Amino acid sequence: MEFLGYKREDGRFGVRNHVLVMASVCCANGVVEAIGRALPGVVTVTHAYGCGCGPEDLSVARRVLAGLIDNPNVGASLVIGLGCESLNSESLAEAAQCKLAEALVIQKAGGTATTRRGIEVATKFLEKMKAQERVPAPVSELVVGLECGGSDAFSGVTANPAVGAAADRFVHEGATVILAETTEMIGTPHILKRRCATAELGEQVERLVNEQEKRVRASLGELAGMVIAPGNIEGGLSSITEKSLGCITKAGTTLINEVVEYACRPSKRGLVIMDTPGYDIESMAGMAAGGAQLILFTTGRGSPAGFPAIPVIKVASNSQTYNNMPGDMDLNAGSIIDEGKAIEETGREIYDLSMRVAGGEQTCAETNRMAAFGYLKQGPSF
Amino acid sequence: MKSNALKVNESDNVAIATQAVKKGDLVIVNGRELFGAAEDVEPGHKIALLPIAAGEDVLRYGEPIVRATCDIGRGEWVHVHNTEPVPGDLKE
Repeated sequence: MEFLGYKREDGRFGVRNHVLVMASVCCANGVVEAIGRALPGVVTVTHAYGCGCGPEDLSVARRVLAGLIDNPNVGASLVIGLGCESLNSESLAEAAQCKLAEALVIQKAGGTATTRRGIEVATKFLEKMKAQERVPAPVSELVVGLECGGSDAFSGVTANPAVGAAADRFVHEGATVILAETTEMIGTPHILKRRCATAELGEQVERLVNEQEKRVRASLGELAGMVIAPGNIEGGLSSITEKSLGCITKAGTTLINEVVEYACRPSKRGLVIMDTPGYDIESMAGMAAGGAQLILFTTGRGSPAGFPAIPVIKVASNSQTYNNMPGDMDLNAGSIIDEGKAIEETGREIYDLSMRVAGGEQTCAETNRMAAFGYLKQGPSF
Repeated sequence: MKSNALKVNESDNVAIATQAVKKGDLVIVNGRELFGAAEDVEPGHKIALLPIAAGEDVLRYGEPIVRATCDIGRGEWVHVHNTEPVPGDLKE
């Protein structure tokens, strides 16, 4: 099976051909936004840091921003820097391997006058991207990120198992599927361990999840039980194990082949685990930086959030949410409840929709321009 | 027949009510009528498909999610009032 994608010099394929205009530091956000207003065809990436934090946080921010520039959906990048920031814009642009990338520095280019220069550069990039055609690409080149946000009692009964069926199909076709959100694996390390391809991986996953559990207990203290919230209990979930099982079911049934750190690229195909927070925004950023060209996002209560340059497919767990947010949901898994549709059939629909999106069909979040961006930051600001 | 409860895995001993189930209502799981509900069960909550003895595991997705703290009859509501977390759960 194949799709039509944009071929990159490193052999990977994008499902989009975006021009990214990215701030290396928050101080440059204004210029990035101004370029975005002048050229609605670019994808803007603004964020809260790039400076004023410790080396570990800086390293994560760099990995995420560089990973986005490197993502196969991005054909060209313009990085706007201030000039004195820790996360240097020129080094970000230089690190972009085999790709069109340029940096502009506000303190060198004359302040907001940088906007004018940026519009010129981005316009040229947009023309180049328009000239590039889609070519046949194997499904095995896809890296699909999985996400659940605003889960309800039905997420684990409809949307997640259906996404799991689609995930199995992707893996069967040789593609890569990323299961993330380590917080939502608490209570299931013994289960995930069994599903790892090697004993060593099993130990790694168990350690990862147990460490996350310790962190949750340490920072939330008595409120650690909040990971299963009062809303979850009222909604029918009796334990964190039950909640987490509902979450991991979206990864399907195949063996786990690798465990990667936040925002790192998997080196193996098939199902892999990435260590990310349960917080949707940061989790999506990790997977996008890791090379995911598509994200499957299940939701019970509903969320319109997409992600810059990466199509996010929203799968509603119930018809109420689907009908309540018709312009934001791409697929209604609630028909499993209402119409008695089989999980496998909905899984097939999710897979087919994913392939159409890979070929260019827009998701609701793309049409609505609902991109949300933020990355993991654990230390203090200075 | 339209289901009012769903079971995800063959080996599960509970199903999830997909609408409010009243005491006495026929519980229809995955298209098959099974038995009468022994009590009211809210949407999203669990109904026992078989008797579950005290100390026995409650299974969903084929895995233990909680353990019964007393004998639970078929058709009864299964939740935090008659179960406890399994060892290794965060909420202890």
